[in-house]
Amino acid sequence: MTGALAFCRRFARNRAALAGLVLLLAILLMAALAGVLFPDDPWDMVAQPLLWPGQDGEYPLGSDLMGRDLMSGLFHGARVSLAFGFTATAAALLIGVTAGALAGYYGGLVDDVLMRITELFQTVPPFILAIVLVVILTPSALTIVTAIALVSWPGVARLVRAEFLSLRGREFVQAGVVLGMGDARLILTQILPNALGPIIVSASLMVATSILLEASLAFLGLGDPNLMSWGTIIGAGRDALRSAWYVAALPGAAILVTVLAFSLVGEGLNDALNPRLRNR
Amino acid sequence: MRGFASISALSRHFPRSHYVLARVAKSIPVFLAIAVCNFILLKLAPGDAADVLAGEAGSATPEYLAALKSQFGLDQPTWAQLAHYVGRLLRLDLGWSFRNNQGVLALILERLPATLLLMIGALGLAFILGAALGVLASRHVNGALDNLISVVALLFYATPLFLVGLGLIIVFAVHLGWLPTGGLTTVGASYTGLRFAVDVALHLAMPLVTLALFFLALYARLMRASMLEVFNQDYVTTARAKGLSEGRITVRHVLRNAMMPMVTMLGLQVGTLLGGSVVVETVFAWPGIGRLAFEAVMSRDLNLLLGILLICSVVVIMANILVDLAYAWLDPRIELAR
Amino acid sequence: MPRSLTRRFLVGAAVVAGLGLALPASAQDAPIRGGTLTALLHPEPPYLLSAVDPTLQMAVVTTKMYEGLLSYDLDMKPRPLLAESWKVAPDGLSYVFKLRQGVKWHDGRPFTADDVAFSLGVWKARHARGRQSYARVTGVETPDPHTVILRLSEPAPQMATVFSSYESPIIPKHVFGTGDLLSNPAASAPVGTGPFRFKEWKRGDNLILERNPDYWDTGKPYLDRVVFRFIADASSRAAALEAGEAQIGALTPVPLSEMARLTANPNLVATTSGYDYMAPVLLLQLNVRNKPLSDRKVRQAIAYAINRDTLTKTVWFGYGKPATGPIPSVVKAWYTTDGVPAYPHDPKKAEALLDEAGYKRGPDGKRFKMQTDPFPGGAEFTRTAEFIKQQLGRVGIEVELRTSDFPSYVRNIFGEYNFESTPMYNGAFPDPSAGLQRIYWSKAAQKGVPFVNATGYADPAMDHHFEDAQTQNDPKKRWQDFADMQRQAMTDLPVIPLMEMRFVTLANRRVVNHTITADGLIGTNFANVYLATPNPAAPK
Repeated sequence: MTGALAFCRRFARNRAALAGLVLLLAILLMAALAGVLFPDDPWDMVAQPLLWPGQDGEYPLGSDLMGRDLMSGLFHGARVSLAFGFTATAAALLIGVTAGALAGYYGGLVDDVLMRITELFQTVPPFILAIVLVVILTPSALTIVTAIALVSWPGVARLVRAEFLSLRGREFVQAGVVLGMGDARLILTQILPNALGPIIVSASLMVATSILLEASLAFLGLGDPNLMSWGTIIGAGRDALRSAWYVAALPGAAILVTVLAFSLVGEGLNDALNPRLRNR
Repeated sequence: MRGFASISALSRHFPRSHYVLARVAKSIPVFLAIAVCNFILLKLAPGDAADVLAGEAGSATPEYLAALKSQFGLDQPTWAQLAHYVGRLLRLDLGWSFRNNQGVLALILERLPATLLLMIGALGLAFILGAALGVLASRHVNGALDNLISVVALLFYATPLFLVGLGLIIVFAVHLGWLPTGGLTTVGASYTGLRFAVDVALHLAMPLVTLALFFLALYARLMRASMLEVFNQDYVTTARAKGLSEGRITVRHVLRNAMMPMVTMLGLQVGTLLGGSVVVETVFAWPGIGRLAFEAVMSRDLNLLLGILLICSVVVIMANILVDLAYAWLDPRIELAR
Repeated sequence: MPRSLTRRFLVGAAVVAGLGLALPASAQDAPIRGGTLTALLHPEPPYLLSAVDPTLQMAVVTTKMYEGLLSYDLDMKPRPLLAESWKVAPDGLSYVFKLRQGVKWHDGRPFTADDVAFSLGVWKARHARGRQSYARVTGVETPDPHTVILRLSEPAPQMATVFSSYESPIIPKHVFGTGDLLSNPAASAPVGTGPFRFKEWKRGDNLILERNPDYWDTGKPYLDRVVFRFIADASSRAAALEAGEAQIGALTPVPLSEMARLTANPNLVATTSGYDYMAPVLLLQLNVRNKPLSDRKVRQAIAYAINRDTLTKTVWFGYGKPATGPIPSVVKAWYTTDGVPAYPHDPKKAEALLDEAGYKRGPDGKRFKMQTDPFPGGAEFTRTAEFIKQQLGRVGIEVELRTSDFPSYVRNIFGEYNFESTPMYNGAFPDPSAGLQRIYWSKAAQKGVPFVNATGYADPAMDHHFEDAQTQNDPKKRWQDFADMQRQAMTDLPVIPLMEMRFVTLANRRVVNHTITADGLIGTNFANVYLATPNPAAPK
């Protein structure tokens, strides 16, 4: 308990991390309120196309090429982009933590096989692999999440494996072994909770990179056409980048803020977990 | 991390060239596994190269399509195509690109230098600038400069690559007219010698900066963290106790050791960079391998895509060998593993 | 009255005029020699052999090097090119071409009737449309090196429009005569008769052609070089035109959303002429095999529900014209609205038709779900699908988009008929036998073959209109066939014509004479093109 309290205090002392947290909460609020503030379908063509921000009070952020309300798009987009970020990260964590835990805990042949597979995935350029996967499976929310998860898990696997390798030999684990705990119980109740810190830090960054990845895929025309993510708006606005730069720049800025928020929070968590690094 | 993993078993008297050969030999099964996995993966994709060519033509007849399929060997069963492919691969033959009507190896070798130039340039810039900024930041921990550096670096990291790229084009190519919008050289200029180098450098400037800015943040933050880590080590405290100046400590003792995680990162990033260049190559019409890969996927140019993925793995594995060699150089205590 | 192409073709023999006559008024000044013209092109062609592959982008390059027997001016009148004169027998069963003398291939060998006979064999056997166009050619005679006679089993009036450099380029027999065509090195490094010679091709970057000093039209071409640059990103292409790094781009080189800004640039001029030969029409193809699209009333309801004017203005920024039928108005010889059912935007009528067909709104206000696959040909097609989704949503049809890349699209739509609707485009071409028969005729359907009848539409009366027209030598009867065809197409609506597309050529104001034929940059050989002021982009 006191540990958690000290952790929170350390985190709160870090102004950058706090700022990140505030930004993050603001974005989460945007996503949560999208349906309340903008009950209509963000795809509805409601306004004159290519209204500039501020030109029409009813649509404060203007409209896109098809006359869709950009403000509504940004709010609904927050929901979709965050959902992409979180689900892809969750899926990558699931694969990565499982592989890393098994490799680190059992070592030997299991470790060898799993690490060779990880190596295989790390040898192929991740973005190209993501493109190939999305193209093959045809772009949809599910396939995009799958592709992002499949290219993101090896990093987690290596991290978790390293943690498990160092934690395995520790006293409390040995104590668990002596008490006759099963492998699953040892992994889940003894080692994993102690490895959680670095996992959370890297997960917060993975959410950010997943959102960026989705936007890059959408830029290349490989987004889900039925979901309005920030990437989708950028992909559509890209055609009018010069005449109406705000169409791509607004969701671009939203992505920037989100990635910034996650990075700051991630860094704050990291510093709070390793206090030694900050105050040398 | 990669570097540490391969340095697990120490062997005292192992010559460097043997080490490289051993590593290369160990990679061959990895290459084959990559080739087979990719082949199966790509065969799952709907549509094939004949569909693309016939489709692009806008009109076709059944005979035309059948002729294309038999020409590309697509009328064979999948296992036969795979066996054929692996057989050719073992003879170091990457095959023929139907979409480009050219040998795959020739095509890749033609495009690889452009990507390597961009990649090495961007990584080099990000590495050097990142290291410098990281050292600066670590010397002023939590000060104004530290905060400024991390905010600026993070901003670049968080901005989608294509926005940075297109922004640069609009400012420097269209409005100011200082730099060309894209491409590798001035087309048709056929410059030679220094003039050629300058020409390429002008074309390289924007894509390189775009790509480097993204990676800059990672290196700056990593360098800062590892500098702080090393500053806490006993031998630094000892050095400090001996009365050495902070500047001297930084350069002599800290920098060299703090470089190690940076080098590891460099090795890890080669693959990411090869892929990340797809977007930059698209925006700047840079005739590199990333763009070629994207087009190969989109036109189901199986041989070409497989070839590119394979060559990318070669580059990644070679980069990792270099990283391990750099490790041994940075820290003589580390010996190269078998 | 029909303005028969065939008849014009017959009298064409009398008009032995050089291409120079077709120069626009702006080109009265003496042409300026020299300079490099840089053109934008995307996507990059796989090889350069239009004799087997009718891809438009490929032809933009090849027609500067390979030439056809004729070219078709902006009014679709045939003009001499490699043939100096020609004659069609009144029964339509033989064509005689007198070839130009003293023409040399780029490697110095003389161009003869043998080359034409050889090329015809290639078009007939390998060209995706040539198989159909030349299907009735049963014999080729070459009584002397400069005469070619084609013998036909039946009249084939559509042949009047196919002798262009784009559709039927003549390739050298001594180069391609042996071995496989595509593995011939010349498949990627052409040896033609045209005003420009192949110089080099840096894949993924650029392709350079240089002036042919021995061109038969002495004194031409004016340009020293033509460079094609391959830039995949549309915004970057716009930037290259603005920065003056490239001077011309065909086939709508920039996003239409950027056109207003670019045409305001005093250095750039846009033109939509030069695409009448392709006559592209934006279509919504419907899979009529399954319910509810198998019901004609449902298809008519969809036609009423889509506002084509708004579609044209919003999605296509005015670069188009709402379509009234399968044949666009630019194909003047066959276009008619007489007796052709029209579908003005009328959501109420659409709802009434849907109710009548038995697809009433459910408790959630929806009638049924329909998937739509936009053609993977640019953002405008995706936006067209998004537009259709909105419009049909208002009459209770829930549309779901599925985007795919080109091979998946071809496989889904034409390989497996696994689709419900797809907004895409089709070239109507100057002759409906070439452009439209393939999508309406039941026997054109061939599973796996792209861009032929995929809707599953089969109707004996419709089949008859096309079957009679393809060998009908009487222009009046043929006109009637196509008029009936248009009426029936707009009644049955297996394909809903949405908009006549207007492709754009965007060029620097300095580029003169770039569009002087009906097939524009796709078919013009650039012999007459020059740069009105010295080109600063050229190397000093």
